[in-house]
Amino acid sequence: MKQLALIALVLALLVPARAHRLDEYLQATRITVESDSIDLIIDLTPGVAIAQHLLRLIKFDGDGRISGKEKEAYSQRVLSQLRLDLDGKQQSITLLAATFPSLQQLKTGEGTIRIKAIAKFPALVIGTHEIVFVNNHLPTFSVYLVNALVPRNKAIHIVRQRRDELQKEYHLTFEVLPPPP
Amino acid sequence: MRRTHLAALFCAAVAVGPQNSVSAAEQLSQTTTSSIRANASSQTAKIVHSAQAFIDSLDETQRGKLTFEFGDKEQRARWSNLPIRMAERRGLRMGDLTEVQQSAVMALLSVALSKMGYEKVVGIVDSDEALKNSSRGGGPAFGRAEFYVSFLGKPSEKMPWMFQFGGHHLALNVTILGENGVLTPSLIAVQPARFTLDGRTVRPLGRETDKAFELVHSLTEAQRTQAVLGFQMRDLVLGPGHDGESIQPEGIQASALNQQQQQLLLELVAEWSGIIHDAAAAAKMSDIKANLKDVWFAWAGPMEQPGTAYFRVQGPSVVIEYAPQRLGGDVTQHIHTMYRDPTNDYGKKLLGQ
Repeated sequence: MKQLALIALVLALLVPARAHRLDEYLQATRITVESDSIDLIIDLTPGVAIAQHLLRLIKFDGDGRISGKEKEAYSQRVLSQLRLDLDGKQQSITLLAATFPSLQQLKTGEGTIRIKAIAKFPALVIGTHEIVFVNNHLPTFSVYLVNALVPRNKAIHIVRQRRDELQKEYHLTFEVLPPPP
Repeated sequence: MRRTHLAALFCAAVAVGPQNSVSAAEQLSQTTTSSIRANASSQTAKIVHSAQAFIDSLDETQRGKLTFEFGDKEQRARWSNLPIRMAERRGLRMGDLTEVQQSAVMALLSVALSKMGYEKVVGIVDSDEALKNSSRGGGPAFGRAEFYVSFLGKPSEKMPWMFQFGGHHLALNVTILGENGVLTPSLIAVQPARFTLDGRTVRPLGRETDKAFELVHSLTEAQRTQAVLGFQMRDLVLGPGHDGESIQPEGIQASALNQQQQQLLLELVAEWSGIIHDAAAAAKMSDIKANLKDVWFAWAGPMEQPGTAYFRVQGPSVVIEYAPQRLGGDVTQHIHTMYRDPTNDYGKKLLGQ
């Protein structure tokens, strides 16, 4: 409640600054399916009104920069709040890289955090498979986008994408095709 | 004094635009003519001539700031929907140019773009001026003076080069290679989407909005179950920073539309593909028509005007996204759109990349 009141106050002060995100945390995920892995790219763009809340989550120690440790800890926190299932089995997601904007950009709603992660598994058999991706990170403030990228691997054929209304939960049906004769 | 000239330049844009241009809809009917190639070649000569005239109007220091290597990937990607204060642009700032130099930039735009495209760009710049004037306490980050022009490579009728013109809510990336002109990727956005200038109402992206509604309203119930996505879309998927990405298409395929609906779809696409000069636009439309069955149309949001809905047109050589922005204020007054060609952004297909 206290956080929402603070956000309302910040918004009241910032309404004329209409060029950047205000009270939303945009979480945009792109998913690339391979025969033995799923690549995730997650772009996180916090609005100016929730920047302070986010910096508290990052455990920013106030030294004027976000340290490598702080970046990794926050990235791991995000990943821990994702759920990725393949054919009904939960997958472990490994952080590959994370890039952060400057502290100033984050505070003013102008910066995007990009997290790259991967889930690896034994090569899939030929046939139909389903991925379920659920993003539970900061649902109170967040809006979501999630899309499959066109597979690099010609043996992967996307059949269908389904989402809930908020795009918080995403289902991807795909086929692994047999090699061409 | 300079601001007065800049205001006059943009306000008079309709009058000074090319006289022989055609509308987006008319371009659709030109795509089978055999004169496309010859027209494109002569248009390239005019563009190079105008670009050189602009360069000749500059001093040495300005030329140094204007020009980058053709292969400069950082400059190529240095565009954004954000105002200058939030996302740096490089090149020459319109507000720092003399009246003669400003006129030369506008002359370049008038030959590189169609009449429709030129008017659209001027409308977007004018809307940024209106935003500046309506902002509390004004704001140096908005307005006609805050647009930048840059060249990558040297203007040439044979060798590849490109120029960029943009600022808040506008990023034109125009690649020229011989007779070919490529406008992708370009960000075409506006805020306010409706404003009054000299007593008339201006809607720089009004036709895009109206045509999209016409198309979605033409769909049958069965077609809508395919075209209308059952979830909210709060932003562009392939906006700035997403060069090289191709998302899986969704919605309804053009092959499932009747002839009249396909025509509406092409007229909608032409609002973006027709921004570049007529010859290049005709070549692009010809390509899109050839692959029409594989073009998809998707819609997310209410189907009543004024529009708060997102839509996307996606095919083998075109991606268009239209996303009203929820950043405070009236959603219908703040629209971002993106125009891409996954096979030929920055002319990569022409360059064999």
